Amino acid sequence: MRKNILWTLTGLLAGGVLHAQTVTGVVRESKGETLPSASVLADGGKQGVFTGPDGRYTLKLTPGSHTLEFSFIGYVKQRRTVELTAGQTLTVDVVLKEDAVAIGDVVVVGYGVQRRVAVTGSIAQVDAKQITAIQTPSFEAALQGQAAGVQVSQSSGVAGAGSLVRVRGVASISAGGDPLYVVDGIPITQEYFLRGNSGAMNNNPLASINPNDIESVEILKDAAATGIYGSRGANGVILITTKRGRKGTSFEYSSRVGWGTAASRPNMTDTETYLGLRQEAWENDGGTGYVWLPNVTSPLDDPETRRAAYQNALLTHTDWVGQTIGTGLKNAHSFGVRHGAEKYSFYGGIAYDDNHSYLLGNSYERISGRMNIDYRPIDRLTLTGSTSISQGRNNRIDAAWSGGLGDAMSNALPYYPVRYDADVLGDNGDTLHRAGEYFLWFDEWGGTKNPVAVRELKKWRTTESRSISNLQLIYRLADDLHFKASGGFDYMHLREDQFNPGALSITTDLGTANRYANYILNWNYNATVDYAYELDDTQRFDFLVGSEFQRTDNFGYGLFFPNATGPVYEVDSLSQEAASANRTVNNPSQHSFLSYFARTNYTLKDRYFFQATARVDGSSRFGRENRYGFFPSVSAGWVISDESWFQSASVNFLKLRASWGRTGNAALPDYARFGTYSARDNGITYAADSILFPLQPENPTLRWETSQTWDASVEMGLWKDRITLQLAAYHKRSEDVLMNVSTPASMGFSNLWDNVATILNRGVEFSVKSRNLVGKFEWTTDLNIARNYNELEDIGNYTPDAVSGGTNDSRVIVGRPVGSFYLVEHSHVDPATGLPVYLDLNGNETFDYNNDIRKYVGDGLPDIIGGMTNSFRYGRFDLSALATFSIGAKIFDSSAKRQLGVVSGWNMRTEKLDRWRQPGDEATYPRLTLDETTYGLPSGFPWWNTSLFVYDASYLRLRNLTLGYNLPDFDLGKTQFQSFRLAFNVTNLFTITNFPGLDPEVVRDFENAQDRNMSPNVTYLTPPQERAFTFSLSTNF
Amino acid sequence: MKTKHLLLALGLMGTLASCDRLLDFEPGDVILAEDAIRTEDDLQRLLVSTYDVLGNLYGGRLQVVNELRGDNFAAPNNSLDFTSVYNRETTFFTGINGGVYSDLYRAIYRANVVIERFDFVDELSDAGRTRMEAEARFVRAVSHFAAVRMFAQPYGYTADNSHLGVPLRLNSSQTPAPRSSVGDVYAAIVDDLAYAAENLPTANGVYATKSAAEGFLAMVYFQMGDYPAAAQFADAVISSGLYEMDDDLDRFEADVINPEMVFGIVGRIQDNRSTWFRDNLRSDNNPSPQLSLSEDFQFFLSLSGAGDARNQWVTSSGGRYLCNRFNGKEYFNVPVIHLTLMKLVRAESLAEVGGDLTVAIGDINDIRDRAFGAGNFPLSASASAAEVLAAARDEFRKETVCEGWWTDHLVRRGAAGENITIRGAAWDCPGMALQFPNSETTAAGFVLNEEGGCL
Repeated sequence: MRKNILWTLTGLLAGGVLHAQTVTGVVRESKGETLPSASVLADGGKQGVFTGPDGRYTLKLTPGSHTLEFSFIGYVKQRRTVELTAGQTLTVDVVLKEDAVAIGDVVVVGYGVQRRVAVTGSIAQVDAKQITAIQTPSFEAALQGQAAGVQVSQSSGVAGAGSLVRVRGVASISAGGDPLYVVDGIPITQEYFLRGNSGAMNNNPLASINPNDIESVEILKDAAATGIYGSRGANGVILITTKRGRKGTSFEYSSRVGWGTAASRPNMTDTETYLGLRQEAWENDGGTGYVWLPNVTSPLDDPETRRAAYQNALLTHTDWVGQTIGTGLKNAHSFGVRHGAEKYSFYGGIAYDDNHSYLLGNSYERISGRMNIDYRPIDRLTLTGSTSISQGRNNRIDAAWSGGLGDAMSNALPYYPVRYDADVLGDNGDTLHRAGEYFLWFDEWGGTKNPVAVRELKKWRTTESRSISNLQLIYRLADDLHFKASGGFDYMHLREDQFNPGALSITTDLGTANRYANYILNWNYNATVDYAYELDDTQRFDFLVGSEFQRTDNFGYGLFFPNATGPVYEVDSLSQEAASANRTVNNPSQHSFLSYFARTNYTLKDRYFFQATARVDGSSRFGRENRYGFFPSVSAGWVISDESWFQSASVNFLKLRASWGRTGNAALPDYARFGTYSARDNGITYAADSILFPLQPENPTLRWETSQTWDASVEMGLWKDRITLQLAAYHKRSEDVLMNVSTPASMGFSNLWDNVATILNRGVEFSVKSRNLVGKFEWTTDLNIARNYNELEDIGNYTPDAVSGGTNDSRVIVGRPVGSFYLVEHSHVDPATGLPVYLDLNGNETFDYNNDIRKYVGDGLPDIIGGMTNSFRYGRFDLSALATFSIGAKIFDSSAKRQLGVVSGWNMRTEKLDRWRQPGDEATYPRLTLDETTYGLPSGFPWWNTSLFVYDASYLRLRNLTLGYNLPDFDLGKTQFQSFRLAFNVTNLFTITNFPGLDPEVVRDFENAQDRNMSPNVTYLTPPQERAFTFSLSTNF
Repeated sequence: MKTKHLLLALGLMGTLASCDRLLDFEPGDVILAEDAIRTEDDLQRLLVSTYDVLGNLYGGRLQVVNELRGDNFAAPNNSLDFTSVYNRETTFFTGINGGVYSDLYRAIYRANVVIERFDFVDELSDAGRTRMEAEARFVRAVSHFAAVRMFAQPYGYTADNSHLGVPLRLNSSQTPAPRSSVGDVYAAIVDDLAYAAENLPTANGVYATKSAAEGFLAMVYFQMGDYPAAAQFADAVISSGLYEMDDDLDRFEADVINPEMVFGIVGRIQDNRSTWFRDNLRSDNNPSPQLSLSEDFQFFLSLSGAGDARNQWVTSSGGRYLCNRFNGKEYFNVPVIHLTLMKLVRAESLAEVGGDLTVAIGDINDIRDRAFGAGNFPLSASASAAEVLAAARDEFRKETVCEGWWTDHLVRRGAAGENITIRGAAWDCPGMALQFPNSETTAAGFVLNEEGGCL
């Protein structure tokens, strides 16, 4: 640098004497503003000047050919070659484009950026506005309908809930099937099961990311795009780029306030209907007198007791659904500052988001801060630092099977009061319950229930502290040669506190407190060298080689206090004990990846593009023999429209693209390959003698799950890009797919991780952007639509039961998609007897319900998914509507089998009224009964797992409707306000579907990654999505 | 210049030298299998872990499940799992049968590992090796024996016993195995127990002894209908002189080893193995326990009149017959093979084959003297073989109620040609054999038991 300045000074001093040739001009940014202090270097730094306050520069050079390089931080460097004849004064005005991520001309790829036109892989780009336009519990939910082939299903309306994201179908069974999330170059921790499915919710590792910090999101879909992430690219990669500083100083502020309600409401029966149906079941079963009532009477009670209880029950009408849901308020504010000067720039942001869901007592509160700094101490060196700190506090409630609305939809019967309305005396005159005390009951598993009491008395919150930071050094060794080194650290600390007071227990007065803490420390280090080599005017090579190391440490602790007066965070003595707890006692584990990669791009005539990538990944999860996987890809692009022979009035851009590549997946538990025994000091004894015992069998052959993907696409621009189209087709075969096989118990263990399956995903994706109307009234349509075909081609010598999705009756069935429902097929209700008729494996009718006749009865994978956004702009008003759709998926309503099945201690849904009552009736539901054997079920098994509850889940949903008003720029005092925008937004306004259950968009809580892959579209008392109404304001100043 | 830069850059990038150590992580809170069994002590602890599994089975779970298959118990209160066993409608989803099955094979797997690891352990004495192998084979046999009785039709169901038994696991290999024939399973059990009886010491703390192996051999041969052998091994235990009749009817004692106990499960206050009895049958702490005795059993017991002290084992309450054998007990040892059982087996076996009836009558009277008071209700010294047989069976049912042997007693006789019905269904109705757990079917080709209940 110093040398450069010297040269420059020498040049400036000498210039006047020796050189009469001058290059002069103005450097501007794309909006036309001049750029002061921009750097103008000639011939690789032999001479140079900075632009003045007006953006003007003057450089005196010798006659001949010179290369000028114009640069300014935050903008794309530009080079010009000039020929100077003696004495000539040449004017070269330059417009610098904003850097990479700011505009769509450049696409973020792994370890760098590429010009859009030169991209040979399949990459979908979603910009920040689309992410913040919509009210969602977490940023990734806003990707729904935005990119072809990217299926995003929001799990539910629970605050902080995550989404299920599948890029081009699911290609994994037991290993994680989620895409890899990379924030500013760091593959981040994405662990959904730190707390299992506690409270019927999986923790969402993305919830703590502030959507307002995001500049852009790139979704890498094919092997050419993901290949550079080889190891973990098999299920796609989502690159998140956060905002950075820009020239000058600007502030941005946005806020959002609003409210949310349930997008749909369960239709549970009221007291009269429930009792009436129950009575009918009792009589159908041969019972006489009044039916016995759960938690009040038993079948053995005498008729008079039963009658009195029945009559008394008729007096209570509790709307348990109404007791658990309501309106949740939203309140979010975000403030950011961008500043840029010659040598440094930064973006700083703070945000607060308090999101109450419609589930009473449930909220997610996030406080986050971010600081991204770019610093160029000398010309050759750029240092960038990014750090974010966030804390998410989830005020939890029980959901689904765990309670809350789930109770209201199951064991909370309408004749149970919320509270006793009068004192209850025992036989001996003692007061058993006082008026106003909560009425508590037992569910069929012996759990103490009353969703209102639990919500009011139980204290439960989950706090996630997260910090993602990285520091990057970019050193320009030569004009076309850069060295980059980057170190990242991703820290996650999740702690869950629960306090159950004695008042919630029927059997004890003692309160209990739990603390579960998890820590995940994730270090990443990578270094790359990129080198650009221009062979001649028409040929250019770009090389990138690099290496990367990532290590993740996972540990935690759990504490239980059997006699506590409050949660750990409220009771000093408990928090002291927690503070001194050994943090590494809970299944400490580590894993690491060591990788080497290279990418070569060859550009010919700026219209033929070739790329080859190769990556070698080593994972600690595999033994030395199978540790390293090799993941190559090759791809090519051809911009046909740039050919001289290509002449078309309508087609202004036409590009073909094709790629092949191999990617991998190693998202399995850290130590799955080891055969292990309990610790020597496990403290377990028999007859006071200590024991040592095996825990899991070894599998030294465990190896990478690999996918081979072919991809081809056409991109087209019509009528000067009035319409742009993209059509892509892909074929992805995943082999050695990991299965955590349920092994025969007679082998001595329950499970074994093994590379077993083959899965095929193939499909087509189409997206179109059409500027239908331009001018004063603008109308733009974005449509994307994707079809995916998924087939499990092979599972070795295993049967469908070898791998199951939790309790969800999803199994691995060869020839069917991953995530197929494996149930007894229901045919109809026999009009003569009112009994359900099943179909056996040969399609013959039978009254016998038997596990042997389970079969494929549908799957939860959609055939077609997509989204359509229509945007209108008239003057200062704009209106945007995003409709998302899913066609062909089925839902297995797993809780309907109880709500609409054998009459039990569960409340029923009103559809149940369509039941058989007398011979000749043609009804949807069979004769009512309290006895499961009536339906052919084995006694003790009320789980009527039949295809009767498999429904078409196709839907069209108005996901987002936004009306905005953009104020003209205005001054307030000395402050100039720009882009001042007010908007009103409705999320999930309406849904068109034939699904009779709650919500056709459903992702239930899962037990593990396998369940998550296997059981999409199974609902079990899962809360519906949220319909949110929000006002937002945003401005820059 | 450029080359130099390039090399420099690559050098910088290469700071991550290839280093496999960066990828070597081992689980910290457990031991790797290859390091786990290195010393005789390790092996001994692994061996004890097989008893730990047996403790979780024979502490009450196996007994309760076996009684539920038979006619000693009434319908369970409301437990779905118990009901499915009682109704003989277990499926591969029912937890209780799956749990019992998995645990039995967990014990077998561990026993197999013990047998296979001798060569990996340094300085193992020959005596230690022989004893451990005998114990491991004892555990393997005892577990296979329980599995084949519960999950298959009985010995004798087909003339050549070629009908399907259970998977026979004689090594720790991790490959799925089909069901072996009942004949083959019994042959392997006898082989293991014979080796155990040959090589086990006569005293071995609370663990398997020569007499324990002989006691199980007696039970195995008894179940096979090989009465001379059953009598021979029962006699070996009885005449070993190591065990004596307890004057007290109560064999379930805490903190002391009952003098009759040949092999049993040891429970401690810190390590309670008898919770299945305590939690499901005790009525002193629970007015409505999950399990109770059947009316059939109550009627049968009442036939012997008030003089039979075993009547105290039953309390009538609210139309149910509650079992008192475990009342007041928080934890206790559970004798599995005991002197009374041996005497019952010897007596019945001798009567079956017309052996020395004097010995048989003596055995029965030892038991009756205790139940009725000495000499109050003796079997006549001149009783016929048929009378001895009937008396032996009556005493067997009474003495072993809740101990889990009676159901197989009935089934054995059914297989031998007697007209046996159990709660209105044939002894061999589908459902008497519990269903295998779902996991067993994950390898293609496994044949499940027929379902459909016995009603």
